[in-house]
Amino acid sequence: MKCVVILALLLPIAARAQIALYVMNGSTATPAGTALDLGRVAAGDTVSVRLRVKNNGTSVANISRFSADGIGFTIDRPSLPFPIAPGSAQDVLLSFRANSPAVYSANVQVNSQINNVSVIAVATVVNGPSLTVFPVCTGSDGPPPAIDFGRVQAGQLRLCNFYLQNTSAQPMPIATFQVTGSAFRQSSGPKAPFTIAPGASTAFVIEFTPGSAGLYSGSLAIETRTFGLSGTAFDSPLPKPLLEFDSGPMLSAQQRRLTMRLPTAAPATASGFVNLAFTPDTTLVTDDPAVVFLATGTRTLPFSVAQGSTQILISGQTSAMFQTGTSSGRIRFTLTGISTDGDPTTTLTIPAALLSFDTTTATRRSGNLDIQVIGFDNTYAAGAMVFTFFDTLGQTLQPGAILADFTQAFRAFFTKTQAGSAFQVRVSFPVTGDTSGIAGVEMKLSNSAGTTTTHLAFK
Amino acid sequence: MKRALLILIASCAWSQSGIEVPSAGLIVDSSGSLRAVQGVAGNFLLGPPMATGVLSAACSEQLCLAKTDSKILSATGQVDAPPGPAEFGFDRDTAVIFFPASQTFVRWRDDTLELLDWTADGEVLSMRVGDNGIEIALRRDWIGVTNGLVLLLKEGVLFATADELVLRHRDASETRFELTGAETITSMGPHYAAIRAGALTFALRLDPGHEQLFVLPGNMP
Repeated sequence: MKCVVILALLLPIAARAQIALYVMNGSTATPAGTALDLGRVAAGDTVSVRLRVKNNGTSVANISRFSADGIGFTIDRPSLPFPIAPGSAQDVLLSFRANSPAVYSANVQVNSQINNVSVIAVATVVNGPSLTVFPVCTGSDGPPPAIDFGRVQAGQLRLCNFYLQNTSAQPMPIATFQVTGSAFRQSSGPKAPFTIAPGASTAFVIEFTPGSAGLYSGSLAIETRTFGLSGTAFDSPLPKPLLEFDSGPMLSAQQRRLTMRLPTAAPATASGFVNLAFTPDTTLVTDDPAVVFLATGTRTLPFSVAQGSTQILISGQTSAMFQTGTSSGRIRFTLTGISTDGDPTTTLTIPAALLSFDTTTATRRSGNLDIQVIGFDNTYAAGAMVFTFFDTLGQTLQPGAILADFTQAFRAFFTKTQAGSAFQVRVSFPVTGDTSGIAGVEMKLSNSAGTTTTHLAFK
Repeated sequence: MKRALLILIASCAWSQSGIEVPSAGLIVDSSGSLRAVQGVAGNFLLGPPMATGVLSAACSEQLCLAKTDSKILSATGQVDAPPGPAEFGFDRDTAVIFFPASQTFVRWRDDTLELLDWTADGEVLSMRVGDNGIEIALRRDWIGVTNGLVLLLKEGVLFATADELVLRHRDASETRFELTGAETITSMGPHYAAIRAGALTFALRLDPGHEQLFVLPGNMP
């Protein structure tokens, strides 16, 4: 008995709660009323309107039916049934499309356990103008109808030519003919209002002039039809950058300077990366890790150029230093991240060279003569050595020239370290007798580029 | 008889030799990490960090030492030390070390420190142990010449002015290198001094007749 009393008290409150239907225009909701006119629609085009069903009551509304019963009408909505909490709403999309001119209607019905809503939707299909799009633009009848102006360099003009045709048997009045969008403009053709005779056509041109890089959109409204306009603008390519180096032949074990400039002023501010890569001549190593930009010890640096300038700044500096390594081969500089008018890739050739000695010492110990060589072999073919010792009078000591072949040891060293061709080798010669009589040594070291000879005095 | 030396054949000599990547010394990079410098002049590679929190480091031909806030590090071990940076003066396989914070001198030998009863008569900028004893560069002697960046060398002395490095040889001749903003000068190795200036570290080759300033590869984090 107690439950019956409570229900009786609740019923009047529930009866005041209701679901309602609204037509959405952006974020603005307008009550749908009893009739909803979708307006004139070109045959074959699709018109859509967003509807919102809102629960203005205080209890959950379970939507058991949400339909548009009529030819050409469809509703995109959640699966039935679905609940709507008090104060909440659910949007759906009502669409219409038909191919034959006529007036179409549908009963849009929303049912819930609280209340029902019914609206009559009406659409008028007419013969719309037929639009022909000529290359380089491309068009689509959709849905939605769209015209793409493609990719255009910022600041440049792209023209698209169109034919507008009346394919029907009746004159076609055109009251609306409007182009919108900041980069789009009608440059020639008829001005509304005008009429296209049956079977006749008229030509017009729309120009696309983007001011800066980016994506652009607009619309072309022709009476009952609206075509989306789109285009993409990219920054104009830089004139081909010139990569220049400080003077002098490029050799191994150098620290050199790279500068970059443009032959003419940059049409726009641009930035990217300058990269270097190394390809050694030898197959013993795959790379030379010392070939890097010195500022960072890496192979990539950012660069930038200001609009109107020819000076390219590398990491904010006017130049960048790099090492040439200790391997013969090719250093390749590339630019990425920008569009250039030509490939600026620049390749430096580091030629094969004789063995280079950085530091050499000859030390006399009791019973031993030590020869230490620090240097590099950019051909990776070192190994053949000849040592000839001399006394204080400059006379060759017996046994004369001593031949040694350390080729395999050097190959193993280079292959293992993969750190370029710099090496430090110490060769010790056991001797008997008084080593103070040995004054110097002539050392000949060979690689594939030839033989390097040096004379050392013992300390 | 003296001419009748017997030099054994190279195949025996080879058994006594080896090939290595040449070492140019050690530096403390901008993040305070101790890093080996390998390579030859004009072609340097930085090794991975060997120690962190390093305040000072220096190398001779025979020895490299590094100072953290509380230790002296060597290739063979470490020993407790007073806080702060240090100045090193190498003496073959030992070293004299000065700790500015405590104004004390010690002798480092085999990872032990022996306190020396020495007193500095001013701010010590650099030390060098030579054949004729120890040389010490005091700030008061360099006022007007440099703001304190001095490195005593076997070849002479290296110091920095506002926009130059000056290598003054023992015969008083000078070789100058354009370099602005030097912040530290240390002995990188037997053939090089390391100079830090801003984000860059330079290596000055000291070998007579081969003096040249190079840039060491940077160390991006």
